[in-house]
Formats: sequence, C-alpha cells, structure tokens
Amino acid sequence: MRKWICIICGYIYDEAVGIPDQGIAAGTRFEDLPPDWVCPECGSPKESFEPHVE
Amino acid sequence: MNADSAAPGRVEIDGRLFNPYSKDFIRSPWAVWEKLVLEYPVAWHKDLNFWVVSSHDACTEMLKNNTQFTPNYKAWEHAPPEKPEAEKNDFERSLDHGLFATRTADHLRLRKLTLPAFSKPVMGKIDAKIRHLVTGVFDEIGTPETFDAFSMIAEKLPVRAIAHMVGVPTDREAFFHEFAVSVIKSTRINLPFKERQAAMQSSLKGFTYFKEVIAQRRAASHPGDDFVGSLISASEGDDRLTDYDIMAMIQAVIVAGSDTATDLHTYAIQGLLANPGQYALLRQRPELMENAIIELLRVGAFGKIPQFRYALEDVEFRGQKIRKGQGIMLNLTAAWVDPQKWDQPRQLDITRRLDGNLVFGAGAHFCIGTYLVRVQGSLMIQELMKRFPDAELLDGDGRVDYDYNHHNARRINRLMVKTNVKRVH
Repeated sequence: MRKWICIICGYIYDEAVGIPDQGIAAGTRFEDLPPDWVCPECGSPKESFEPHVE
Repeated sequence: MNADSAAPGRVEIDGRLFNPYSKDFIRSPWAVWEKLVLEYPVAWHKDLNFWVVSSHDACTEMLKNNTQFTPNYKAWEHAPPEKPEAEKNDFERSLDHGLFATRTADHLRLRKLTLPAFSKPVMGKIDAKIRHLVTGVFDEIGTPETFDAFSMIAEKLPVRAIAHMVGVPTDREAFFHEFAVSVIKSTRINLPFKERQAAMQSSLKGFTYFKEVIAQRRAASHPGDDFVGSLISASEGDDRLTDYDIMAMIQAVIVAGSDTATDLHTYAIQGLLANPGQYALLRQRPELMENAIIELLRVGAFGKIPQFRYALEDVEFRGQKIRKGQGIMLNLTAAWVDPQKWDQPRQLDITRRLDGNLVFGAGAHFCIGTYLVRVQGSLMIQELMKRFPDAELLDGDGRVDYDYNHHNARRINRLMVKTNVKRVH
C-alpha cells in the first residue's frame, strides 16, 4: 500500500485508508481510482499526484 | 471591435445591478449575488469592462480551466507593455516568478518545490510557533466588558503571525505591514494605474530587505528550519528555488496570510457570535474546527472585488463569447453562497458537508496559504472560546462598521464583542 500526495495542495491519499466518505474503500490503489477522480481538497486531477514517502 | 461595443447575444449587466464599490453592496451583497448567480451567471459588465462569472458551477469550471484562462494579468488586453528584463525592478521580477505568472510546467515545478514549506505537517509546526502570539493578543485584551475584535485581534494577529513566520523581527512589524499592503495594492488591477505604481515603488525597500535575509541564510552553514529556510533548502534533483522564486513565495504568503486573514478573524468571530448554537457546538466538538473555519469563511463571504482571470484565446464559455485578452472577474464569494449549490446558503452550519467548496479556490491555483489560514484561524477561535465562552455581539450586531474604501474586501473595521465575563470581586 502506498501514499500519494497532491503537489498543488498537499492532500495525501493513503491507499490503506481510502476515502470511505466518498465510497472509496480502504485498500483501493491509486491506479484504480477513476480517471476523472479529483483531489478532494483542491479539485486537481489525478496527474497532480505523486508517490509520497514520509 | 473594441471591448465596449455590444456583441450579438451577449448577456450584459452594469453598475446599477453590480457595483462592488457601493456602500449598500458592501453592507449587504446577498440580493445582488443571488441575482447574479441565478440570472446572470456569466455576463459582460458594461461599466467595469470585465466579464463577471458568478455561479458556483461556472466558477468551478473556469478555475479548473488553465488552458484557456490565466490569472496572469499580462494576458489582459489592457496590460502595460512588457519591460525589457534589464529595466525591471525587484517587484516586477518577483512577480514574473510568482505562481500567477508562470506557465503550467513552471507552475507545477514551483508548487512541487514549495510544497514542503506549505504542507500540513509544516503548518502544524507553525502552530506551535505562533500560539504565543495568539495568547499575547488575548492577554492584551484582558477581561473588559466589551472590546473591538477588529482593532484588538484582526488588525494585529495576521501581520504578527506572518512577520514571525518569515522571520521579521518584532520591531520591524510596521515596516512589514506597509510592505504587505504595498505588495497587495500593486497587484490589484481595479486600482488606478498611478496608485498601483506608487504602491509598487513603496514595496521595493521590502524586497531589498528580503533579498538580504535570503543572502544571509544562503551564506550560513544551515539556512534554518523555518519557512524561509525550508524554501532555500527545497530541491528536486538539482533544481532549486532562485532568490526571486523565494521572494515570490514570500509575496504569496503575505497576500494569503496577512491582509486576507484580517477578514478571516472578524468574520469568524461575527459568524460564531451571531450563531450562539454553533459557537456552543464548536466548544463541545472541537474536532469540527477545520470544517468550521471553511464554513465561516463561506458564509462570511467577505470578498468585494472578485478574483481575476484573462482569456488566453477566443473562448465560447457557457454560451458567451469571451475574446482573447478580455478580463474576467471570477465572483467566488457569490459562488460561495449560490443556492443552486448550497441548501440555505447563508445559514452557518459547521457540520455541513463542504465537498466541492471554492473557499480556497480550486485546481492549479488553489490557495497556497490554505493550511496557514486554518492554523491561524483555529488558534484564534480556540483562544476566544477559552477566554470568552459566553461572548456575544454587542447590541446584537456588534455595532459593525466597514472600511468602504478597502481595495478588495468588505472589510469590517469595527466589531464590538460583549464578553459577559463574570468578574470575581
């Protein structure tokens, strides 16, 4: 499981957690998010995300 | 065809409907905004010579369209001609390196390099660094029967916090404040050209100061762990921020965190104290704080002059033909209270789901200072709740008054709070 960060706003998508509020189950890989999925914080497209290592 | 001549099918409005400078509008913009979002979501303003985009849907679409619209005023048909590089001063060079001026690839590079300095974890550390400033401001208030939230909190705290964050010594706060106001005024194209030029000239000594700070930090064995230090350290491979990149970021922080945050504080206090049930709920459920701040900003809707965009090409946008170079006022505060997006839009509900809100914008130019604003607002509200849990607005409305000449906000410059502090005799 990896984490991804939105380089526009810093929002972190954690594959292990998902976004249950938005119907994205824990364990959903970033690659498996819909192509039109946008950052829940700033609305930027998937291309604005990069792998994130803490 | 010039900008003033009517185009067939063009939806037009004028100053009789939307005059952001009028006192009536500043006191109560709600009916005007509702008419704009419902009846004139995209319209040409004949008096302002700008398009005005107001509905939530239209604003969202435009904010996310960076191929046809830009916040870079150089794309404006009335922008002054570009100066040769050698003739540019520090303000102009920093502006060229700013997030609104760079092209998409450079913009992403800047956001990526600066992300560590603006990220949520870093702002969490800033929380610890500015907490004493917040308690200090409340210590200065003491326990009076009433106090003015504008002069005692909103006017003091943002500038102190930003000055502290960028490493300005306490004794240079006034200098810094003047610099902050000059920087902001220099970029407001709604102001007369001469006023913008005067503000730009006035800002130059501030740039000189920060150039020296950056040079000192670069010369030191370690640039430091604070905001400026983290910008100097920022790197991606061999790529590093230049002095002007860093000064552009300092400019961005000043705009996001000092002048605008003044309104955050007054409108947050006004919103909470005008809604005692919500104030009590936030005391009971502090985990709602972040949502509460966004909701308070949304409902307060303190913007007067919209954000600007410029068309990069001829565009048909929602049935209207926008010509390359025309200016657009992106009426975000109207969108924040668009009844098509929000149920009971003017009702403060700190538990409201705020998905898709535009309080900090959206897309590539999403507010870079968003976490900074949240940290500062959160600390202030926590302290307000702790010291004055029973506070209310004096006479029901806090005897609210406005600075009708403020350059872009519906700036509250008086908001009297009745503390209801029980005195121990």
